[in-house]
Amino acid sequence: MKWKAPSRGLPAAILVVSLLITPLLHAQQPDATLTGTVTSPSGGRIAKSVISVKNLNTGTVSTTQTDSAGRFVVPNLASGDYEVSASTDGLNAVSKVTLAAHATQTVNLTLTTQSQPQTPAGNLPNAPSSSKEPSLSDLGFTPEQTQANAKEQALLDKRTRMLKIHQKLGLITAAPLIATIVTSLGAGGKHTSNTDRTVHMVLGAVSSDLYFTSAYFAIRAPSIKGTSTRGPIRVHKALAWIHGPGMILTPILGALAYQQKNNGEKVHGIAAAHGPVAIVTAGAFGAALLSVSLKF
Amino acid sequence: MNKPKLIALLPFVLCTLALAADTQWVLQQCTLTYHVSHPLHQTDGISHAARGKGICHVGQCDFLIAVPVKSFDSGDSNRDLHMVQVTRGAEFPMVTVRTRLPESAANDASIQADLEIQFAGQTAHYQHVPFQLTKQGADVRLSGTIPATLTDFKIEPPTLLTLPVKNEIPVRVEMTWHPAQ
Repeated sequence: MKWKAPSRGLPAAILVVSLLITPLLHAQQPDATLTGTVTSPSGGRIAKSVISVKNLNTGTVSTTQTDSAGRFVVPNLASGDYEVSASTDGLNAVSKVTLAAHATQTVNLTLTTQSQPQTPAGNLPNAPSSSKEPSLSDLGFTPEQTQANAKEQALLDKRTRMLKIHQKLGLITAAPLIATIVTSLGAGGKHTSNTDRTVHMVLGAVSSDLYFTSAYFAIRAPSIKGTSTRGPIRVHKALAWIHGPGMILTPILGALAYQQKNNGEKVHGIAAAHGPVAIVTAGAFGAALLSVSLKF
Repeated sequence: MNKPKLIALLPFVLCTLALAADTQWVLQQCTLTYHVSHPLHQTDGISHAARGKGICHVGQCDFLIAVPVKSFDSGDSNRDLHMVQVTRGAEFPMVTVRTRLPESAANDASIQADLEIQFAGQTAHYQHVPFQLTKQGADVRLSGTIPATLTDFKIEPPTLLTLPVKNEIPVRVEMTWHPAQ
Protein backbone atom coordinates (compact mmCIF):
# COMPACT_ATOMS: atom_id res chain seq x y z
CA MET A 1 0.00 0.00 0.00
CA LYS A 2 1.39 3.36 -0.97
CA TRP A 3 1.49 6.20 1.48
CA LYS A 4 -0.62 9.06 0.28
CA ALA A 5 0.22 12.61 1.24
CA PRO A 6 -2.58 14.20 3.24
CA SER A 7 -4.74 16.53 1.30
CA ARG A 8 -5.03 20.18 2.23
CA GLY A 9 -8.45 19.48 3.70
CA LEU A 10 -7.08 17.27 6.50
CA PRO A 11 -5.37 19.98 8.61
CA ALA A 12 -8.49 22.07 8.27
CA ALA A 13 -10.64 19.17 9.45
CA ILE A 14 -8.34 18.58 12.46
CA LEU A 15 -8.60 22.27 13.34
CA VAL A 16 -12.40 22.20 13.14
CA VAL A 17 -12.60 19.02 15.28
CA SER A 18 -10.20 20.56 17.83
CA LEU A 19 -12.29 23.69 18.03
CA LEU A 20 -15.40 21.59 18.58
CA ILE A 21 -13.81 19.28 21.17
CA THR A 22 -12.07 21.94 23.25
CA PRO A 23 -15.23 23.52 24.68
CA LEU A 24 -16.67 20.05 25.33
CA LEU A 25 -13.57 19.02 27.28
CA HIS A 26 -13.68 22.28 29.13
CA ALA A 27 -17.32 21.68 30.03
CA GLN A 28 -16.42 18.36 31.67
CA GLN A 29 -13.95 19.97 34.07
CA PRO A 30 -15.26 19.78 37.66
CA ASP A 31 -15.40 23.51 38.31
CA ALA A 32 -18.71 24.03 40.08
CA THR A 33 -18.69 25.12 43.70
CA LEU A 34 -21.12 24.40 46.49
CA THR A 35 -21.27 26.75 49.44
CA GLY A 36 -23.62 27.08 52.34
CA THR A 37 -24.24 27.30 56.03
CA VAL A 38 -25.40 24.91 58.73
CA THR A 39 -27.68 26.16 61.46
CA SER A 40 -29.19 24.58 64.54
CA PRO A 41 -32.98 24.28 65.00
CA SER A 42 -32.78 27.50 67.05
CA GLY A 43 -31.00 29.31 64.23
CA GLY A 44 -27.45 29.35 65.62
CA ARG A 45 -24.57 28.64 63.27
CA ILE A 46 -22.97 25.20 63.77
CA ALA A 47 -19.18 24.86 63.58
CA LYS A 48 -17.38 21.60 62.75
CA SER A 49 -20.48 20.00 61.30
CA VAL A 50 -19.53 17.19 58.89
CA ILE A 51 -20.75 17.97 55.38
CA SER A 52 -21.15 15.15 52.89
CA VAL A 53 -21.79 15.98 49.24
CA LYS A 54 -22.82 12.99 47.16
CA ASN A 55 -22.98 13.07 43.38
CA LEU A 56 -26.19 11.15 42.64
CA ASN A 57 -24.99 10.27 39.13
CA THR A 58 -21.61 8.81 40.02
CA GLY A 59 -21.92 8.02 43.72
CA THR A 60 -18.75 10.03 44.45
CA VAL A 61 -18.76 11.59 47.89
CA SER A 62 -16.84 14.70 48.95
CA THR A 63 -16.67 15.66 52.58
CA THR A 64 -15.71 18.74 54.50
CA GLN A 65 -16.51 20.55 57.73
CA THR A 66 -18.11 23.84 58.56
CA ASP A 67 -15.84 26.57 59.85
CA SER A 68 -16.31 28.50 63.10
CA ALA A 69 -19.06 30.59 61.43
CA GLY A 70 -20.93 27.48 60.30
CA ARG A 71 -19.97 27.98 56.65
CA PHE A 72 -18.68 25.39 54.21
CA VAL A 73 -17.27 25.41 50.68
CA VAL A 74 -16.86 22.38 48.42
CA PRO A 75 -15.00 23.39 45.25
CA ASN A 76 -14.15 21.47 42.06
CA LEU A 77 -17.45 19.63 41.68
CA ALA A 78 -18.76 18.32 38.38
CA SER A 79 -22.14 19.57 37.23
CA GLY A 80 -25.06 17.32 38.16
CA ASP A 81 -27.46 16.33 40.93
CA TYR A 82 -26.13 16.19 44.48
CA GLU A 83 -27.36 15.16 47.88
CA VAL A 84 -25.92 17.41 50.58
CA SER A 85 -26.06 16.24 54.15
CA ALA A 86 -24.86 17.73 57.42
CA SER A 87 -24.60 15.97 60.75
CA THR A 88 -23.62 17.10 64.21
CA ASP A 89 -24.31 15.71 67.62
CA GLY A 90 -27.12 13.39 66.52
CA LEU A 91 -28.78 16.13 64.45
CA ASN A 92 -29.00 15.82 60.69
CA ALA A 93 -30.02 17.75 57.61
CA VAL A 94 -30.28 16.57 54.02
CA SER A 95 -30.96 18.56 50.89
CA LYS A 96 -30.83 18.00 47.16
CA VAL A 97 -29.20 20.44 44.81
CA THR A 98 -28.43 20.60 41.10
CA LEU A 99 -25.11 22.15 40.15
CA ALA A 100 -24.52 23.79 36.79
CA ALA A 101 -21.06 23.93 35.21
CA HIS A 102 -18.91 26.91 36.35
CA ALA A 103 -21.66 27.90 38.83
CA THR A 104 -21.50 28.52 42.56
CA GLN A 105 -24.59 27.22 44.29
CA THR A 106 -25.54 27.99 47.88
CA VAL A 107 -27.45 25.60 50.09
CA ASN A 108 -28.37 26.42 53.69
CA LEU A 109 -29.05 23.48 55.95
CA THR A 110 -30.99 23.53 59.19
CA LEU A 111 -30.33 20.61 61.48
CA THR A 112 -33.25 18.64 62.87
CA THR A 113 -33.46 15.62 65.16
CA GLN A 114 -34.27 13.30 62.23
CA SER A 115 -33.72 14.10 58.65
CA GLN A 116 -34.25 11.60 55.86
CA PRO A 117 -33.02 11.82 52.29
CA GLN A 118 -35.67 13.18 50.00
CA THR A 119 -35.01 10.70 47.24
CA PRO A 120 -33.41 7.29 46.80
CA ALA A 121 -29.73 7.56 47.53
CA GLY A 122 -26.85 5.98 45.75
CA ASN A 123 -26.26 4.01 42.62
CA LEU A 124 -25.82 0.73 44.42
CA PRO A 125 -28.36 -1.87 43.26
CA ASN A 126 -29.42 -2.73 46.79
CA ALA A 127 -28.34 0.43 48.56
CA PRO A 128 -30.75 1.81 51.14
CA SER A 129 -33.22 4.04 49.44
CA SER A 130 -36.49 3.99 51.31
CA SER A 131 -37.53 6.63 53.77
CA LYS A 132 -37.64 3.85 56.38
CA GLU A 133 -33.89 3.34 56.49
CA PRO A 134 -32.14 3.52 59.87
CA SER A 135 -29.94 6.50 60.66
CA LEU A 136 -26.86 6.91 62.82
CA SER A 137 -28.89 8.67 65.48
CA ASP A 138 -30.96 5.47 65.89
CA LEU A 139 -27.97 3.54 67.18
CA GLY A 140 -27.48 5.32 70.48
CA PHE A 141 -23.90 6.45 70.17
CA THR A 142 -22.88 9.35 72.38
CA PRO A 143 -22.17 12.75 70.76
CA GLU A 144 -18.53 12.38 71.84
CA GLN A 145 -18.30 9.24 69.74
CA THR A 146 -19.93 10.63 66.60
CA GLN A 147 -18.85 14.26 66.61
CA ALA A 148 -15.89 15.30 64.47
CA ASN A 149 -13.00 16.78 66.37
CA ALA A 150 -10.77 18.77 64.04
CA LYS A 151 -8.56 19.92 66.91
CA GLU A 152 -7.79 16.35 67.94
CA GLN A 153 -7.11 15.40 64.31
CA ALA A 154 -4.60 18.26 64.08
CA LEU A 155 -3.00 17.04 67.29
CA LEU A 156 -2.80 13.49 65.96
CA ASP A 157 -1.26 14.75 62.72
CA LYS A 158 1.36 16.70 64.65
CA ARG A 159 2.07 13.70 66.87
CA THR A 160 2.57 11.42 63.87
CA ARG A 161 4.82 13.94 62.10
CA MET A 162 7.04 14.27 65.19
CA LEU A 163 7.17 10.53 65.87
CA LYS A 164 8.10 9.84 62.25
CA ILE A 165 11.08 12.17 62.64
CA HIS A 166 11.87 10.46 65.96
CA GLN A 167 11.80 7.07 64.24
CA LYS A 168 13.98 8.15 61.31
CA LEU A 169 16.54 9.86 63.52
CA GLY A 170 16.55 6.85 65.85
CA LEU A 171 17.40 4.59 62.93
CA ILE A 172 20.10 6.98 61.68
CA THR A 173 21.55 7.15 65.21
CA ALA A 174 22.07 3.40 65.15
CA ALA A 175 24.76 3.73 62.44
CA PRO A 176 27.25 6.03 64.29
CA LEU A 177 26.40 4.21 67.53
CA ILE A 178 27.52 0.89 66.06
CA ALA A 179 30.63 2.59 64.63
CA THR A 180 31.36 4.04 68.09
CA ILE A 181 31.16 0.58 69.65
CA VAL A 182 33.43 -0.87 66.94
CA THR A 183 36.03 1.89 67.38
CA SER A 184 35.95 1.45 71.16
CA LEU A 185 38.03 -1.69 70.68
CA GLY A 186 40.92 0.46 69.45
CA ALA A 187 40.31 3.34 71.86
CA GLY A 188 40.31 1.58 75.19
CA GLY A 189 43.12 -0.97 75.00
CA LYS A 190 46.70 -0.73 76.23
CA HIS A 191 48.15 0.08 72.82
CA THR A 192 45.96 2.89 71.63
CA SER A 193 46.73 6.05 69.77
CA ASN A 194 45.32 9.54 70.10
CA THR A 195 43.77 9.14 66.65
CA ASP A 196 41.85 5.99 67.69
CA ARG A 197 40.52 7.75 70.77
CA THR A 198 39.63 10.90 68.82
CA VAL A 199 37.75 8.93 66.14
CA HIS A 200 35.88 7.07 68.89
CA MET A 201 35.07 10.31 70.66
CA VAL A 202 33.85 12.09 67.51
CA LEU A 203 31.60 9.14 66.58
CA GLY A 204 30.27 9.07 70.13
CA ALA A 205 29.53 12.79 69.99
CA VAL A 206 27.68 12.41 66.66
CA SER A 207 25.64 9.49 68.10
CA SER A 208 24.86 11.50 71.19
CA ASP A 209 23.73 14.57 69.20
CA LEU A 210 21.50 12.52 66.93
CA TYR A 211 20.14 10.61 69.90
CA PHE A 212 19.09 13.73 71.79
CA THR A 213 17.57 15.29 68.68
CA SER A 214 15.56 12.11 68.16
CA ALA A 215 14.57 12.05 71.84
CA TYR A 216 13.38 15.66 71.59
CA PHE A 217 10.82 14.75 68.94
CA ALA A 218 9.52 11.84 71.04
CA ILE A 219 9.27 13.89 74.23
CA ARG A 220 7.67 16.91 72.54
CA ALA A 221 5.17 14.87 70.49
CA PRO A 222 1.74 15.80 71.88
CA SER A 223 -0.01 13.20 73.99
CA ILE A 224 -3.63 12.41 73.26
CA LYS A 225 -6.02 12.85 76.16
CA GLY A 226 -7.73 9.72 77.42
CA THR A 227 -5.23 7.31 75.90
CA SER A 228 -3.47 4.81 78.11
CA THR A 229 -0.21 3.24 77.00
CA ARG A 230 -0.67 -0.42 76.05
CA GLY A 231 1.41 -3.07 74.34
CA PRO A 232 5.03 -3.13 73.09
CA ILE A 233 5.22 0.67 73.16
CA ARG A 234 5.33 0.36 76.98
CA VAL A 235 8.58 -1.61 76.68
CA HIS A 236 9.92 0.98 74.22
CA LYS A 237 9.16 3.80 76.66
CA ALA A 238 10.49 1.90 79.68
CA LEU A 239 13.81 1.26 77.93
CA ALA A 240 14.22 5.01 77.49
CA TRP A 241 14.74 5.18 81.27
CA ILE A 242 17.88 3.09 80.75
CA HIS A 243 19.37 4.43 77.50
CA GLY A 244 18.36 8.05 78.26
CA PRO A 245 20.48 8.45 81.44
CA GLY A 246 23.07 6.18 79.81
CA MET A 247 23.42 8.58 76.89
CA ILE A 248 24.07 11.43 79.34
CA LEU A 249 26.48 9.46 81.53
CA THR A 250 28.48 7.72 78.79
CA PRO A 251 29.97 10.90 77.21
CA ILE A 252 30.81 12.34 80.66
CA LEU A 253 32.60 9.16 81.70
CA GLY A 254 34.16 8.97 78.22
CA ALA A 255 35.56 12.50 78.56
CA LEU A 256 37.14 11.55 81.91
CA ALA A 257 38.62 8.37 80.43
CA TYR A 258 39.87 10.29 77.39
CA GLN A 259 41.64 12.80 79.65
CA GLN A 260 43.23 10.07 81.78
CA LYS A 261 44.44 8.22 78.68
CA ASN A 262 45.88 11.37 77.17
CA ASN A 263 47.78 11.97 80.43
CA GLY A 264 49.31 8.55 80.03
CA GLU A 265 47.36 7.19 82.98
CA LYS A 266 45.43 3.97 83.18
CA VAL A 267 41.70 4.63 83.15
CA HIS A 268 40.68 4.56 86.77
CA GLY A 269 37.96 5.59 89.22
CA ILE A 270 34.50 6.39 87.95
CA ALA A 271 35.86 6.76 84.39
CA ALA A 272 36.42 2.98 84.35
CA ALA A 273 32.61 2.63 84.23
CA HIS A 274 32.54 4.27 80.75
CA GLY A 275 32.73 0.94 78.90
CA PRO A 276 30.12 -0.99 80.92
CA VAL A 277 27.71 2.00 80.95
CA ALA A 278 28.12 2.40 77.18
CA ILE A 279 27.40 -1.30 76.61
CA VAL A 280 24.22 -1.20 78.73
CA THR A 281 23.15 2.02 76.99
CA ALA A 282 23.72 0.64 73.50
CA GLY A 283 21.97 -2.61 74.48
CA ALA A 284 18.92 -0.75 75.78
CA PHE A 285 18.87 1.41 72.66
CA GLY A 286 18.98 -1.67 70.41
CA ALA A 287 16.23 -3.36 72.44
CA ALA A 288 14.11 -0.19 72.14
CA LEU A 289 14.44 -0.34 68.36
CA LEU A 290 13.50 -4.02 68.32
CA SER A 291 10.55 -3.51 70.66
CA VAL A 292 8.69 -1.51 68.01
CA SER A 293 10.02 -3.49 65.06
CA LEU A 294 9.23 -7.05 66.06
CA LYS A 295 5.92 -8.37 67.30
CA PHE A 296 5.96 -10.21 70.60
CA MET B 1 -71.58 -4.43 52.66
CA ASN B 2 -73.15 -7.08 54.87
CA LYS B 3 -71.52 -8.80 57.82
CA PRO B 4 -70.53 -12.18 56.19
CA LYS B 5 -68.74 -10.33 53.37
CA LEU B 6 -66.82 -8.23 55.88
CA ILE B 7 -65.77 -11.35 57.78
CA ALA B 8 -64.65 -12.97 54.53
CA LEU B 9 -62.48 -9.95 53.67
CA LEU B 10 -60.95 -9.75 57.12
CA PRO B 11 -58.12 -12.30 56.48
CA PHE B 12 -57.03 -10.39 53.35
CA VAL B 13 -57.04 -7.10 55.21
CA LEU B 14 -55.03 -8.58 58.07
CA CYS B 15 -52.54 -10.19 55.67
CA THR B 16 -52.06 -6.90 53.84
CA LEU B 17 -51.51 -5.05 57.12
CA ALA B 18 -49.06 -7.70 58.29
CA LEU B 19 -47.05 -7.43 55.08
CA ALA B 20 -46.98 -3.66 55.24
CA ALA B 21 -45.91 -3.58 58.93
CA ASP B 22 -42.25 -2.81 59.55
CA THR B 23 -40.11 -5.39 61.27
CA GLN B 24 -36.77 -4.53 62.77
CA TRP B 25 -33.47 -6.23 63.47
CA VAL B 26 -31.06 -5.21 66.18
CA LEU B 27 -27.36 -6.02 66.14
CA GLN B 28 -26.89 -7.99 69.32
CA GLN B 29 -23.23 -8.91 69.10
CA CYS B 30 -20.52 -7.94 66.66
CA THR B 31 -16.81 -8.49 66.25
CA LEU B 32 -14.98 -6.63 63.52
CA THR B 33 -11.34 -7.48 62.87
CA TYR B 34 -9.11 -5.67 60.39
CA HIS B 35 -5.88 -7.29 59.31
CA VAL B 36 -2.78 -5.34 58.34
CA SER B 37 0.29 -6.93 56.78
CA HIS B 38 3.77 -5.48 57.11
CA PRO B 39 7.08 -7.19 56.24
CA LEU B 40 7.87 -7.26 59.99
CA HIS B 41 4.36 -7.47 61.46
CA GLN B 42 0.99 -9.09 61.00
CA THR B 43 -1.49 -7.03 62.98
CA ASP B 44 -5.15 -7.51 63.81
CA GLY B 45 -7.29 -4.70 65.21
CA ILE B 46 -10.49 -5.80 66.90
CA SER B 47 -13.64 -3.90 67.83
CA HIS B 48 -16.70 -5.13 69.67
CA ALA B 49 -18.30 -1.67 69.75
CA ALA B 50 -20.37 -1.84 66.56
CA ARG B 51 -24.07 -1.12 66.75
CA GLY B 52 -26.59 -1.78 64.07
CA LYS B 53 -30.19 -1.71 63.10
CA GLY B 54 -32.23 -3.13 60.26
CA ILE B 55 -35.65 -1.92 59.20
CA CYS B 56 -37.74 -4.14 56.93
CA HIS B 57 -40.50 -2.70 54.84
CA VAL B 58 -42.51 -4.50 52.18
CA GLY B 59 -40.04 -7.36 51.93
CA GLN B 60 -36.85 -5.28 51.81
CA CYS B 61 -34.58 -4.59 54.77
CA ASP B 62 -32.25 -1.62 55.11
CA PHE B 63 -29.36 -2.24 57.47
CA LEU B 64 -27.02 0.25 59.06
CA ILE B 65 -24.00 -0.83 61.08
CA ALA B 66 -21.72 1.77 62.65
CA VAL B 67 -18.56 1.51 64.69
CA PRO B 68 -16.29 4.18 66.19
CA VAL B 69 -12.86 4.20 64.53
CA LYS B 70 -11.24 4.62 67.95
CA SER B 71 -12.80 1.42 69.25
CA PHE B 72 -10.39 -0.82 67.32
CA ASP B 73 -7.72 -2.33 69.54
CA SER B 74 -4.59 -3.84 68.03
CA GLY B 75 -2.90 -4.44 71.39
CA ASP B 76 -0.61 -1.42 71.07
CA SER B 77 -1.80 2.10 71.93
CA ASN B 78 0.82 3.77 69.73
CA ARG B 79 -0.26 1.75 66.69
CA ASP B 80 -3.94 2.44 67.43
CA LEU B 81 -3.34 6.18 67.69
CA HIS B 82 -1.42 6.08 64.43
CA MET B 83 -4.30 4.17 62.82
CA VAL B 84 -6.75 6.83 64.00
CA GLN B 85 -4.45 9.53 62.57
CA VAL B 86 -3.97 8.01 59.11
CA THR B 87 -7.66 7.19 58.79
CA ARG B 88 -8.60 10.72 59.99
CA GLY B 89 -10.55 9.06 62.76
CA ALA B 90 -10.93 12.22 64.86
CA GLU B 91 -12.35 14.13 61.90
CA PHE B 92 -14.50 11.21 60.71
CA PRO B 93 -15.03 9.22 63.91
CA MET B 94 -17.50 6.63 62.62
CA VAL B 95 -17.32 3.83 60.10
CA THR B 96 -20.76 3.15 58.68
CA VAL B 97 -21.87 0.22 56.58
CA ARG B 98 -25.19 0.26 54.74
CA THR B 99 -26.82 -2.52 52.83
CA ARG B 100 -30.22 -3.55 51.58
CA LEU B 101 -31.30 -7.17 51.59
CA PRO B 102 -34.52 -9.00 50.92
CA GLU B 103 -36.32 -9.99 54.12
CA SER B 104 -36.26 -13.62 53.00
CA ALA B 105 -32.41 -13.61 53.09
CA ALA B 106 -32.60 -14.42 56.81
CA ASN B 107 -33.56 -17.98 55.84
CA ASP B 108 -30.66 -18.50 53.41
CA ALA B 109 -27.42 -20.29 54.24
CA SER B 110 -25.37 -17.67 52.45
CA ILE B 111 -25.96 -14.26 50.93
CA GLN B 112 -24.10 -11.84 48.71
CA ALA B 113 -24.48 -8.30 49.95
CA ASP B 114 -23.74 -5.02 48.24
CA LEU B 115 -22.19 -2.75 50.84
CA GLU B 116 -21.77 0.99 51.01
CA ILE B 117 -19.03 1.85 53.47
CA GLN B 118 -18.23 5.33 54.70
CA PHE B 119 -14.82 5.56 56.32
CA ALA B 120 -12.09 8.17 56.57
CA GLY B 121 -14.27 10.73 54.79
CA GLN B 122 -14.69 8.50 51.74
CA THR B 123 -17.41 6.20 50.48
CA ALA B 124 -16.61 2.86 48.91
CA HIS B 125 -18.94 0.33 47.38
CA TYR B 126 -18.36 -3.40 47.60
CA GLN B 127 -20.55 -5.62 45.52
CA HIS B 128 -21.51 -9.26 46.04
CA VAL B 129 -19.62 -9.67 49.32
CA PRO B 130 -20.29 -13.26 50.47
CA PHE B 131 -21.57 -13.87 54.00
CA GLN B 132 -22.44 -17.16 55.70
CA LEU B 133 -25.66 -17.25 57.73
CA THR B 134 -26.61 -19.57 60.54
CA LYS B 135 -29.85 -19.48 62.47
CA GLN B 136 -29.73 -19.73 66.26
CA GLY B 137 -33.35 -19.73 67.33
CA ALA B 138 -34.75 -16.40 66.26
CA ASP B 139 -31.26 -14.89 65.93
CA VAL B 140 -29.25 -14.87 62.73
CA ARG B 141 -25.48 -15.22 62.90
CA LEU B 142 -23.61 -13.78 59.98
CA SER B 143 -19.93 -14.02 59.10
CA GLY B 144 -17.81 -12.93 56.18
CA THR B 145 -14.86 -10.83 55.09
CA ILE B 146 -15.01 -7.42 53.45
CA PRO B 147 -12.15 -7.11 50.92
CA ALA B 148 -11.25 -3.54 51.88
CA THR B 149 -8.10 -1.81 50.70
CA LEU B 150 -6.38 1.40 51.78
CA THR B 151 -6.76 2.94 48.33
CA ASP B 152 -10.55 2.45 48.49
CA PHE B 153 -10.55 5.12 51.20
CA LYS B 154 -7.58 7.15 49.97
CA ILE B 155 -5.56 6.23 53.06
CA GLU B 156 -1.83 6.69 52.82
CA PRO B 157 -0.21 3.37 53.80
CA PRO B 158 1.38 3.67 57.26
CA THR B 159 5.06 2.82 57.45
CA LEU B 160 7.27 1.16 60.02
CA LEU B 161 11.04 1.51 59.66
CA THR B 162 10.28 3.23 56.33
CA LEU B 163 8.50 0.09 54.98
CA PRO B 164 4.82 0.58 54.11
CA VAL B 165 2.05 -1.86 55.01
CA LYS B 166 0.23 -3.80 52.29
CA ASN B 167 -2.71 -2.14 50.56
CA GLU B 168 -5.12 -4.95 51.48
CA ILE B 169 -6.86 -4.58 54.85
CA PRO B 170 -9.49 -7.34 54.89
CA VAL B 171 -12.13 -6.85 57.57
CA ARG B 172 -13.55 -9.98 59.17
CA VAL B 173 -17.15 -9.58 60.27
CA GLU B 174 -18.94 -11.70 62.87
CA MET B 175 -22.44 -10.49 63.72
CA THR B 176 -25.50 -11.74 65.54
CA TRP B 177 -28.80 -10.07 64.65
CA HIS B 178 -31.87 -10.34 66.80
CA PRO B 179 -35.37 -9.65 65.46
CA ALA B 180 -37.26 -6.93 67.29
CA GLN B 181 -40.75 -5.72 66.54
